[in-house]
Amino acid sequence: MSELKDCPPLKYYDFKPVEHVKVCPRYTAVLGRSEDDGIGIEELDTLQLELETLLSSATRRLRALEEQRQILTDWQDKKGDKRFLKLGKDPDPAASSRHKPKKQKLDGKGGHGPGQGPGRPKTKNLQPKVQEYEFTDDPQDIPRNPKNDAPNRFWASVEPYCADITNEEVRLLEELLKPPEDEADYFKIPALGKHYSQRWAQEDLLEEQREGARANDKKKSVMGGPLSELDAKDVDSLLKKSESQHESPEDGCPFGPLTQRLLQALVEENIISPMEDSPIPDISGKDANDGAGTSPRSQGKAFRLAKEEMRKQELRQRVRVSDNEVMEAFRRIMAARQKKRTPTKKEKDQAWKALKERESILKLLDG
Amino acid sequence: SIAVIETNPRKLRALMLLMEAAERECVILRHALDKIAEIKSLLEERRIAAKMAGVYSDSDPPRKTMRRGVLMTLLQQSAMTLPLWIGKPGESPPPLCGATPASSDYVAKQGDKVAARVKSVEGDEQWILAEVVSYNHSTNKYEVDDIDEEGKERHMLSRRRIIPLPQWKANPETDPEALFSKDQLVLALYPQTTCFYRALIHTPPHRVRFYFDRRVCDGSNIPQSVNVAAPRGKKQTWRKR
Repeated sequence: MSELKDCPPLKYYDFKPVEHVKVCPRYTAVLGRSEDDGIGIEELDTLQLELETLLSSATRRLRALEEQRQILTDWQDKKGDKRFLKLGKDPDPAASSRHKPKKQKLDGKGGHGPGQGPGRPKTKNLQPKVQEYEFTDDPQDIPRNPKNDAPNRFWASVEPYCADITNEEVRLLEELLKPPEDEADYFKIPALGKHYSQRWAQEDLLEEQREGARANDKKKSVMGGPLSELDAKDVDSLLKKSESQHESPEDGCPFGPLTQRLLQALVEENIISPMEDSPIPDISGKDANDGAGTSPRSQGKAFRLAKEEMRKQELRQRVRVSDNEVMEAFRRIMAARQKKRTPTKKEKDQAWKALKERESILKLLDG
Repeated sequence: SIAVIETNPRKLRALMLLMEAAERECVILRHALDKIAEIKSLLEERRIAAKMAGVYSDSDPPRKTMRRGVLMTLLQQSAMTLPLWIGKPGESPPPLCGATPASSDYVAKQGDKVAARVKSVEGDEQWILAEVVSYNHSTNKYEVDDIDEEGKERHMLSRRRIIPLPQWKANPETDPEALFSKDQLVLALYPQTTCFYRALIHTPPHRVRFYFDRRVCDGSNIPQSVNVAAPRGKKQTWRKR
């Protein structure tokens, strides 16, 4: 959108001041006299004519200004308050200073325009030098009315659920369902490591050693060295003792692999509630399942549904095509009727065929 | 390139200021013109009073008829100084302004100038320039005086034979619709006479002062359309083909 559209269509009027001396000599002369001199009766007529000239031009000027004011008010109303407020903030010393010279220019009376032929005086041509006046209205973009976006967003969000199933998605499901080949790795239970209590105790010891070393460096005392060594030895013996006492349970869960799968399936079917302290390892722990974590059974179900839906879609497509054919046949028959001839056998056959086809497809669909 | 942002409220304010100045000017000018009109009407009243007195008094010697030339000059003068109608924004020209006809119930006042269709002794009719003396409501008749006092007496005419002449000039620059247009049939005062004749507009005036260019050209075999009176304020130059 060009700037032009943002500005009210104001016109610049070139009000030429009426030269009193040339056009209204008597008037000027009379004004030059003092009060005592007075005005002669014989001068009245001339004065009248001159005054009429002045009044006429002043009225024309007034009308033109009124017109502009109307345009301006209408423009403002059209654009609304927002624009108004926005503009109101702008500091505008330049504008006021520009008004002064403009005022002076217009202070003289408007004069006769060039004789533009009978009865067409009002509007004058735009002068190029005054472009600044006309186009200085806000070049910034008017804040557009906020578009109502909600329906678009709604449909965009719903679209993935309603869209047709594509082949790609079916393939994805297939891949998910493929029984994983190299599961053997997952079945191996890694060896038990050190029990955590022992591990942490050792780590704490190391930490203290380090601190002790640092303190030693600061103090620079001799006693630090043998002390830390002593500590380390103590800790080790402690740890060994604790190890023998403890009977750490297996790090894994007590159930075997088969039981785990059974349990998971049962959990899946909501028969047993998942148990917190017996962690069931995720068999199909593939990262392709972005947070799905489904069992093979549920995956298979989705796959089957997808296949069925695809079939249905195909059928629906065929229904649409046959619909079109029926419509075509209908139109042909209507045209024939208009031309006031009975529809030919061929047309009738076509129509019947199309109808029958459509019905059969629909039956398939419903089945 | 100038990147000044002209705010609409400021523009509006500037416009209002200019408008106020123009309005003030108009007020003063109108005041002055009203004063002049007042003076003129006083003079007119005096003239009528003197005339009436002159008519009704037998003792005074009969008024010397004015020399033709003087009369004509007077006529022309009064035509030129017919007041110009300058309406305020929104005002439209009143009746008897330029070509605007009078309202149907208009009654001309004493001293108003009219075009009167009189029957001469020979039987032919002529439109003459006359001045209203009185109006009789019961008979709907005007009593008019031929403006040319040379021997022509007072006429008693029915309303239908009287067309009041315009009392305002129309301003071609602001109210062109109140002017007769080209080729319009009018009754125009033949220059240097006091009679109206049918005529066609050649050129309407297009400026206010001193350049009344309306020329009337000769037309013949024109159907009667008497309701149109020549606006007396416009100067007529008879251009003979």
